[in-house]
Amino acid sequence: MDDFAEQIVTSALGFGAKDAVGRVVVDRNYQIRFSQNQPAIANEWRKTSGQAFLNYDGRIVSGEVSDLAQISETVGRLVKIAKGSQPNPEFVGLAKGPFRYRRLSSDPKVVKLMDGSDYVEAAIHGAIEEGAKETAGSFWRYHEEHYLYTSNGASGNDVNVGLYLSIRAHAGPESSGHGVACATRKAAFEPERAGHKAGRIAALAKDPKPGTPGAYDVVFDPLIFGSLIDQLGGRSSAYSVAAGFSPLGGKLGKKVASSAVTLYDDATADTLGRLRFDEEGVPVRRKAIVQDGVLKTYLHNTSTAKKYKTKTTANAGLVAPSAHALVLEGGDWTRDELFQDVRDGLWLTNTWYTRYQSYVTGDFSTIPRDGIFRIKDGEIAGVWKDIRITDNLLGVWKRVKGLSKKAEQVQWWGEVGVPTVAPYALVTKVNVTRSAM
Amino acid sequence: MDTDLVDFAVEHARSRGARYAEARFEEQANEQFIVKGGIVDALDFTESRGIGVRVLAGGSLGFTATNLLTKSDVREIVDRAVALAKGARRKKPITFAPEPAVVADWSVPEARPLADTPVEERVDEIVSIDRDLVGLKYKIPGRFFMCYSNRISKYFANSEGSKIRSYSPRVRLYYHLTLVKGGDVEQCNENYGWSGGWEALEEVRARDRVLEAARTAINALEHGKKSPEGKTDLVAGPQVSGIASHESCGHPTEADRILGREASQAGKSFITPDGGGMKIGSGVVNVVDDPTMEHAIAFYRYDDEGVKARRRYLYKRGRVSEFLQNRETAAVLGTRSNGAARATNYDREAIVRMANTFVEPKDRTPEEMIEEVKRGVYMKSFMEWNIDDKRWNGKYVGREAYLIENGEVKGPVRRTVVELTTKAFWSAVDAVGKDLELFHAGWCGKSDPGQALDAALGGPTIRLRNVYLR
Repeated sequence: MDDFAEQIVTSALGFGAKDAVGRVVVDRNYQIRFSQNQPAIANEWRKTSGQAFLNYDGRIVSGEVSDLAQISETVGRLVKIAKGSQPNPEFVGLAKGPFRYRRLSSDPKVVKLMDGSDYVEAAIHGAIEEGAKETAGSFWRYHEEHYLYTSNGASGNDVNVGLYLSIRAHAGPESSGHGVACATRKAAFEPERAGHKAGRIAALAKDPKPGTPGAYDVVFDPLIFGSLIDQLGGRSSAYSVAAGFSPLGGKLGKKVASSAVTLYDDATADTLGRLRFDEEGVPVRRKAIVQDGVLKTYLHNTSTAKKYKTKTTANAGLVAPSAHALVLEGGDWTRDELFQDVRDGLWLTNTWYTRYQSYVTGDFSTIPRDGIFRIKDGEIAGVWKDIRITDNLLGVWKRVKGLSKKAEQVQWWGEVGVPTVAPYALVTKVNVTRSAM
Repeated sequence: MDTDLVDFAVEHARSRGARYAEARFEEQANEQFIVKGGIVDALDFTESRGIGVRVLAGGSLGFTATNLLTKSDVREIVDRAVALAKGARRKKPITFAPEPAVVADWSVPEARPLADTPVEERVDEIVSIDRDLVGLKYKIPGRFFMCYSNRISKYFANSEGSKIRSYSPRVRLYYHLTLVKGGDVEQCNENYGWSGGWEALEEVRARDRVLEAARTAINALEHGKKSPEGKTDLVAGPQVSGIASHESCGHPTEADRILGREASQAGKSFITPDGGGMKIGSGVVNVVDDPTMEHAIAFYRYDDEGVKARRRYLYKRGRVSEFLQNRETAAVLGTRSNGAARATNYDREAIVRMANTFVEPKDRTPEEMIEEVKRGVYMKSFMEWNIDDKRWNGKYVGREAYLIENGEVKGPVRRTVVELTTKAFWSAVDAVGKDLELFHAGWCGKSDPGQALDAALGGPTIRLRNVYLR
């Protein structure tokens, strides 16, 4: 497959491109979806496709090479399309290779896994043991190979292998909980633990009552805090800032969160987001996006870095840089201490549908789902439903009072798009609203 | 188009013991470019093609997909699909509601075929809209356009004898603007969609609408007042009635959601399987989902299970009327599919999806509805919106909105918050306009792996009486 990546680049240069990147992706992912405590469908993919990115006379074009037997025809077509486009003066070229990459080993037990039924059953069983009546979710075995070759001397391959399970448990029509399990090695995969967590929250969340609007101190479970980490980390892309999709514009070197907050993008960490290199072939590295509450950097590729007079952070995206894996450094609190600090507040376990009124001001709302618990003097004092967090993204981050020492790896459909390591968090005075009847 | 491979896949699946088999070849020619701050960032041209195979064997479903279009590769994925289905430890067998075999060929007319419209013309058009924006002389530090076209060719066959070919061209334009005035900022965005050719931009009057959005945003920055708080009337324009129809009528009537198949991701519904007839709105509320609206973005004649498309009444005279069904959910609920199964591409299973969802228009003009309002808000567009996963607690925050006093539209008001339960929203509707706009579009997200699918999110203007706003 290395050869195909190289052929894409050779072909592009042959057609007159100044810069080119060839990538080949071999997708062997496998999934079981389940609902009502049994499998709904099993899916498997066998795809091999190429991707070309080229700079022809300052015009930037990318595209899929669906048939690797027709590289020349496809690349030729892309060059023809480029001729009809307009120059992008913000593109300044690709990172200069060659590069050396760290070794990454894949667990052969994951690669060889052909049947995930035992994992699905373990998760369902865990939830039901805790009192759940109905479960749904999905199990994934990720297996993707990536091959990259650039006209500026970078080449390498990467294998992304991992296991993932997401389970939502219902103990009643409005009593639910969610758990996830993520691992790069089979031995570290704990789907039954995810099931127990989902079932336990569902069982605790019986007979919820409509919540009361107001400002509350909130303990965020790692899954829901992963969503807020995703928002902060994702909007640190220099591209998002330039396009008006981020509240972080003009805030480099300024306070964007409380001093308790240090957020890394770290594709070297052992998460489902681990990589060897970015889309320009630059070796990935750990970097602080926010350190002690201060915004240290945007995420860059070579072109956005030039615009901001800095160096790439190894987060290409050839057009738009993006986070690989987000790691929020744990604090010095225990989980119990976070709860005990709450005199009159909430414990939230999951959320969805985070949307902005203005990305540049950071005014947003999101809708907690699954267990929503009233906390008084550190103890659960009731169960709520039907509330919404209506607040400001940086405002929330500035009100982080404490983070737990222990953190969990989370990722979830729609909300936590990037693999994220999240601790429990205590945030003060979070604004809660509710729909009028 | 590899029709032979599709037919082979179906036959081979049957020979391997599948009770039912279907195969879908799709070829998508997808062109997309971004114009950011007047600069063409990148042009992406992706031609994908492949085959997806779904089988029902041993009472379970298996789905596999490949873009390796040789007979041996297709044989391999069919074998694997059958093995996955047979190996599933399912207790309750899956069945499909019956459907007649269909042989058909359908397409969407293009006044200006996408294949014949040079990319430079498309790029030039969007760049010139951006230039016109700059010509307004406002301070607009963020100008972002994404133009997208897709030509989707399909061939579907199943083991019951259906063979359906189709060609569906689609055009989308999304813009996102950041406007600044005196230290204050307003953002606006919109998404237009059209089934057809490059005539799309003219048909939806994209240039005029983008410029008008900038003018109204500046007007709000210069003259906008705080939106009134308390119980008042609300006249909701096509965009607002469209998003409310999609979120609080379309999603909760998806039968797979009602049956819990999406519980872990897109969620469930406040409607239960026996919830037909539930009172949810006033008697003037009919909300339909209709794939047969020819140039709406989610137009189709047959769904991805080969079932003929038709208009579905989701809410009729204020009551839950019909669920969106595929063959699997229809069998569970003892009914027939109404043609709502769709997939984003060959490599995804077809699941229950909305198409073009809107309040069925009646006979009023927006002006007539406004004339009868003593005090209220006329909300024409929104930015922030969301709804809980059972589709009961919705929120829409106004972007372009005006105060109504004594039947007249007055100055702009900012950030009108409509945060109502689904029942409170639809029960308050007392009038429905005739000004149907279906070209407002969105990406509807559902399923795992995610399938972001074209959906029309427009409608007519509607009027709500005495609702709580803030």
